[in-house]
Amino acid sequence: MKTILRSQELSCPSCINKIEKALTGTEGVSTAKVHFNSGRIEVEHDAQIANSQKLVEVVRSLGYESKVSPF
Amino acid sequence: MTTLIQNFHNPKIRRQFLVISSGTLILLSLAVGLVFSTTLLKEILMVAAALIAGADIASRAFISLRNKHISIELLVTIATVGALVIGEYWEAAAVTFLFILGAYLEARTLSQTRQVLQGLLDLAPTTVIVLRDGKQLEVDPMEVIPGEWVLFKPGSKIAVDGVVVEGHSAVDESAITGESMPEDKEVGSRVFAGTVNQDGLLKVEATGVGADTTLARIIRRVEEAQDEKAPTQRFIEKFAQWYTPFIIVLSIVSYLITRDIELALTLLVIGCPGALVISTPVSVVAGIGRAAKSGILIKGGEYLENAGKISVLAIDKTGTLTEGKPTVTDVISLQPELQLENAGSSFRSNSRMEFGWDEPQSEVLRWAAIAEAGSEHPLAKAVLKAAKNFGEVPEASDFDTCTGRGVRAFFDGVEIAVGSQVLMKELAILVPEEAQEHLLRLKTSGKTTVLVSYDGKVAGIIAIADKPRENAREVIARLKEIGLKKVVMLTGDDARTAQSIATQLGVNDVLSQLLPEDKLQVIRDLQKEGHVVAMVGDGINDAPALAAANIGIAMGAAGTDIAIETADVALMADDLMKIPEAIKISKATLQNIHQNVWIALVTVTILLLGVIFGKVHMAGGMLIHEASVLVVILNGMRLMRDTR
Repeated sequence: MKTILRSQELSCPSCINKIEKALTGTEGVSTAKVHFNSGRIEVEHDAQIANSQKLVEVVRSLGYESKVSPF
Repeated sequence: MTTLIQNFHNPKIRRQFLVISSGTLILLSLAVGLVFSTTLLKEILMVAAALIAGADIASRAFISLRNKHISIELLVTIATVGALVIGEYWEAAAVTFLFILGAYLEARTLSQTRQVLQGLLDLAPTTVIVLRDGKQLEVDPMEVIPGEWVLFKPGSKIAVDGVVVEGHSAVDESAITGESMPEDKEVGSRVFAGTVNQDGLLKVEATGVGADTTLARIIRRVEEAQDEKAPTQRFIEKFAQWYTPFIIVLSIVSYLITRDIELALTLLVIGCPGALVISTPVSVVAGIGRAAKSGILIKGGEYLENAGKISVLAIDKTGTLTEGKPTVTDVISLQPELQLENAGSSFRSNSRMEFGWDEPQSEVLRWAAIAEAGSEHPLAKAVLKAAKNFGEVPEASDFDTCTGRGVRAFFDGVEIAVGSQVLMKELAILVPEEAQEHLLRLKTSGKTTVLVSYDGKVAGIIAIADKPRENAREVIARLKEIGLKKVVMLTGDDARTAQSIATQLGVNDVLSQLLPEDKLQVIRDLQKEGHVVAMVGDGINDAPALAAANIGIAMGAAGTDIAIETADVALMADDLMKIPEAIKISKATLQNIHQNVWIALVTVTILLLGVIFGKVHMAGGMLIHEASVLVVILNGMRLMRDTR
C-alpha cells in the first residue's frame, strides 16, 4: 500500500537521500520518494511487515518529525 | 521518566534540549575561564559541550553511513573528533553547537515556508452531517457518496464539492479563490470543500468528495508545483553534487601538502553546500505558497521563473477585460414597413414598448433571433436574450454558420442573414448608405454591430456591447506600473469597435478582427520579436494560444478543473486584479532566487578563500556557513508577506 507522510522539518536537501535510503532499507518497504520542497514523503510498503507507524519512527530516528496524511 | 524518554524521541524537543544544554556549557566554560586561572575546569566543560552536541550529530552520521550515505553530519563528526584530538576544545564545542543550532533554526524557519500548504490541508473538515434514509448522520467526509445530500450549519466548514439544493447563505471562499468578500449562495449555486458557510443553513448535493474536490486538486497542484525543480535549482544541484566531494578531496590534498591538520578539518566543516542547495527551493516554496494564498496557482518553479521574465501580456478582450455578458444596446430598423407575416402569433403578441423596443425594432430582433436560434456564439446569445420576451422562437431551416462572419437561415422560404458587412457582400446583399453611417457611428462608440437582412435586403442593425470590467482600466495601468513593456488586446471585434474600447481602457496595442486561430499566430509573432509572452484567456476558446504563450494564464478557474490542471497560472477568482498580482509575485520570486544564489555563491567563495589563506578557522567557518543558510531562508520568507 501507499502511505504519504508529511514533514515540515526537512531542512537540507541532502537529507532526501538519507531518508529514502533509510526507508528502503527498512524491511517491508519497496519504494520511498522524498519531495524536499513540499516535505512530502511517499512510501510504497507492505503494511503487514512495516506499518505506517514504523515508517514515522524510521524518519524520526533520522531526526525529522513527520505525520501520516490522507492525501 | 517514560515521558522524558518519549520527549527525547521527539526530534524537535531533543534538538531544543541539546542546543540549550551545549550552549549553557559553553557559556559556563567561558565564565569559568574568566574567574579561575586554571584551564582544566574550563576545558572539561568545553569537551562536555562538544560531546553532548556531537553525540547527536555522530549518531545521525552513523545511521546514514549504515545506509551507505556520506552525510554532512559525518564530515562534521570527523572534524570535531579531529579538533578534540589536537586539543582545540573551543573549536570542537563551537562547531557542534553552531551546527545543531543552525539545524534547529533552519527546521523552524523552513516549516514556516511550508505552512501555506499545511493551512490548505487543515481546511478539510473531519466530520460532516449527511442525510441518509431521512436521518442525519455524522460521518467522515471521505465516506460521503456523490449524489447524497449533506447539511452545513451556519459557521461550519463545507466538506464536499456540490450544488446547493436547499437554503441560502453567504459562503467565505477566501481559501479557494483568495477573495475576501463572501459569496452569496442559493439553490443551484456551486460550493467548494474548504470554504466556510457563514450565516444560513445549506443543504448540498455532493458532487465530489475527498481527493475529487477542488481543494484536493489545489493542494496537489501546489505540491507538485513546489516540487517541480526550477531551472536554477537543477543547475545548483548539479553544482552541489560536485562541491562536497571536491571539498573532501581538497581537504585531504591540503593535509598531504601542508601537514596542517587544522586547515584540513576546517575545510571539512565548510563542506556542506547548505546555503547553495537551499537557495532556490526556499524561494520557490515561499513564492508558490504566497501565490496560492491569494488564489493564484502557479504550475511550478519553471513557470515562476518564466512569469518573472514576462515582457508582453496578450489579453483576450471578451470575458477578461469585459464582463463577458454582451447585451443588445441599440436596434435600428431600416425598413419599418416590413412585417414578419408568417411568424407564429405567439412570437408576436408580446412585443410592446415595455421591453424597450418599439414595433419595428422588435421586428428586426425577431428576425435575427430566428436565424441565430441554433448558434452558440456569444453575440447570438445576446440577441436571443433580447428577443426572449417575445415568446418561443419559431424554427427556421437550413442553418449555415459562417465562422467570424455570421449566420444564415431560411424561414418559410425567406432568407434571413445576420452578420458582418463581409457576409452581406458574400450573399450579394447591398448595404445602403444610411446603414453604413449607422455602423460607423455605433462602432466608434465601442459597440459590436451586426446587420440583419430579410429576403435579400438589409432590414436593420443590432448593436451589442460587452461592458468593460469596472477595474479593467486600473488593472492595465497597474500592469504597466510593474514593468510590462506592452499590453496587447486581442479581439474578434472590428477595428473601430476594438479601438474605441482600447482607448477607454488605456490599452495602446490592439489587434482586431482576429479569428480564434489568428490568436495563436499573434503569440508566435510576439515571441519572434524576442518577447516573453503571457496570454490571458478563459482557457477554452483560446487553448492553443494559451499553450503557445510562454505563460498561459486562465481566469476564474475555481469551477473548471481542466484549467486548474493545465494552465501555467490559474487564477481561481474571476478577478482581473489577480493578473498583476501574479506577475508581481513571480517577479519578486525570481529576484529572490537570484539574490539567494548570489548570497550563497559569495559565501562559499569567501569561506573557501578565507580558509585557504588561513583567515577563517573552524568555529568561524561554521558560523558564517550557518548564518548564510539562515539569511537565505529568511530572505525567502520575505516573499510570504502580504504585499499588493
